Amino acid sequence: MQKNHYIQLDGVNKSFSKGRESVDILKSFNLSINQGEFVAIMGPSGLGKSTLLHLIGGLDEPCDGTIKIGDVTLSGLSESERTKWRAHHVGFVFQAHHLIPVLTAQKNVELPLILTKLSAKDRQKHGLAALELVDMKERCKHYPSELSGGQEQRVAIARAIVSDPNLLLCDEPTGNLDRKTADDILRLLAELNQQFNKTVIMVTHDPKAAEYATRVIQLEQYLSQNSDNRMADSGYN
Amino acid sequence: MGTINLIWRNSVRNKIRFALTLLSVAIAFFLYTAYSGINTALTASVTEANQLRLNSSHKVSLTRGLPVSYKQKMRSIEGVTSVSYASWFGGYVKDETQQISVFAVDHESYFQMHPEYALDAEQLTRWQKQQTGILVGQKLADNFGWKVGDKVPISTSIWMNRDGHFTWFFTVSAIFQGNSPSVNDNQAFFHHQYFDEARAFGRYEANWFIPQIDKTANAAKVSLDIDAFFENAVEPTRTSTEQVFKKEQTQQFADMAMILRLAVIAVFFTLLLIVCNTMMQVIRERRRETAIMKTSGFSSSYLIILLFLESLLLFGSGAFLGGLVGFIALDQLQYLFSDFLPGISLSPNLFIEMALMIALGAIISSVFPAITLAASSITSDLGTQS
Ligand SMILES: Nc1ncnc2c1ncn2[C@@H]1O[C@H](COP(=O)(O)OP(=O)(O)OP(=O)(O)O)[C@@H](O)[C@H]1O
Ligand SMILES: [Mg+2]
Repeated sequence: MQKNHYIQLDGVNKSFSKGRESVDILKSFNLSINQGEFVAIMGPSGLGKSTLLHLIGGLDEPCDGTIKIGDVTLSGLSESERTKWRAHHVGFVFQAHHLIPVLTAQKNVELPLILTKLSAKDRQKHGLAALELVDMKERCKHYPSELSGGQEQRVAIARAIVSDPNLLLCDEPTGNLDRKTADDILRLLAELNQQFNKTVIMVTHDPKAAEYATRVIQLEQYLSQNSDNRMADSGYN
Repeated sequence: MGTINLIWRNSVRNKIRFALTLLSVAIAFFLYTAYSGINTALTASVTEANQLRLNSSHKVSLTRGLPVSYKQKMRSIEGVTSVSYASWFGGYVKDETQQISVFAVDHESYFQMHPEYALDAEQLTRWQKQQTGILVGQKLADNFGWKVGDKVPISTSIWMNRDGHFTWFFTVSAIFQGNSPSVNDNQAFFHHQYFDEARAFGRYEANWFIPQIDKTANAAKVSLDIDAFFENAVEPTRTSTEQVFKKEQTQQFADMAMILRLAVIAVFFTLLLIVCNTMMQVIRERRRETAIMKTSGFSSSYLIILLFLESLLLFGSGAFLGGLVGFIALDQLQYLFSDFLPGISLSPNLFIEMALMIALGAIISSVFPAITLAASSITSDLGTQS
């Protein structure tokens, strides 16, 4: 009897075609992650860590295989359905914060809530609550250019969690930050994971960062084991 | 509210670019407003000229007079139902720079033939009975504060009266408004008979005649007949329909309007290129932000609508500014040109036309950016570094 995982990737294939050539990134890839895990994904550059994160977050589609998050099978959704799904279920944090420079921290955080039915007042309440969680409430009227890199990343995290998604996907969230600031951010992610039971998947190159996770996946080894398993599987049949 | 704030913030993000683009939109709509106002005057003055009125003047020059006795002679030509005549008095009040348009006209026939001045019977009779009476347009009367019954001095640099003076005195008989915007109410009319009796030279001559023809008559044929009739007279005539006459008068303006029209088309075409290019630039600059918005659940169509509204805001505010300046300019033109080209005014259609142009401009300039936006891939736009 198989346990029902929160995130379930089965036989996922992903390749990019460059001109005539096609490069396989993921081949018959399987992965399961439980609700409330904090998973760090590590591995050399160009291996496909970001690609994997994009697939889990519904930003990209697999060529083959199924991706299930909760009760939803992503591969069965149209692009606009995936877009709607993302609004409610996933928050993204990237290495670059991608804040909108002409909006204050508060307005940046409230932005995803425009898509909800919340009133302006409620949006403000939620936005401030998210900023408070990341300890940036005092800076809510500041523009991104008036914030430090770490502060910007905190605001970006507030934006990612403002619509209260279950899943937080972080692609090298501390890649641009110094040690101390990075630790602050990682503690914040761990807190979100432990206190609010968010499932966090974080791609990182930093072994120190991986220490905050409850599980570390070395993607290079995982890929080879994964395909070994597959071969073993087929061997028994 | 959040969306409107975002659109506004995005619009003025690059202030100089926004101002310059806004300025080009405003200039285009200014030109369009000015063109439209002048065009209204041109078409009105041509279509409203009575189809049945001809215009005869001296074959050689408009400044040379024709004997007033031609009235009876023209009347005898087949197809002509009545004849009137008029002369140019010039005229200014006190100061030669304050030129006004004053005409001496045949008091018996002129206004029967020109119903557009909308004089009522009582006004007309009062004036006809008053030998030194003058009919004054509303605007002219307002300008000098003239009222019915006032004795007003009008000077001329052309016509000396028999007392050797260049200042003539008239009594205001009535004030007219006219029944359409193309009626020039910055004019005045007095008796040609008084003119002939009181002036020192050129007496019993009129600058032009206005033969009115029968509805069934052929204007071109009657014109030729009139000119043939006077061909061998000492003062031969040149006759055209009033429409042709007016058209000749306004040909310069028509040419101007044509140039203006071409300029307006060229300007709008360029404008579309400018705005389209600006929007493309905007899309490129905001690639990463757009990607993050898509990531947060904003659909491409939502983002395209934002872009369209931004373009609409640009066109709308530019059109408002340009239209406003155009409106003020037309008001001035209306005053300056009231003698040459009466009827400069804004047609109510202008607002509908402008609204359409705003919408169309916003749509066309958003098409390419919208395609780019829809086709862009989130994952490649996100990149890693900003
Ligand atoms: N849109 C794309 N089109 C073509 N190739 C792509 C595309 N996106 C990624 N790739 C390729 O897929 C491979 C994996 O890319 P990915 O960004 O997932 O690597 P990564 O493990 O995140 O690397 P890094 O640690 O440098 O971020 C790379 O070789 C990359 O060139
Ligand atoms: Mg990567």
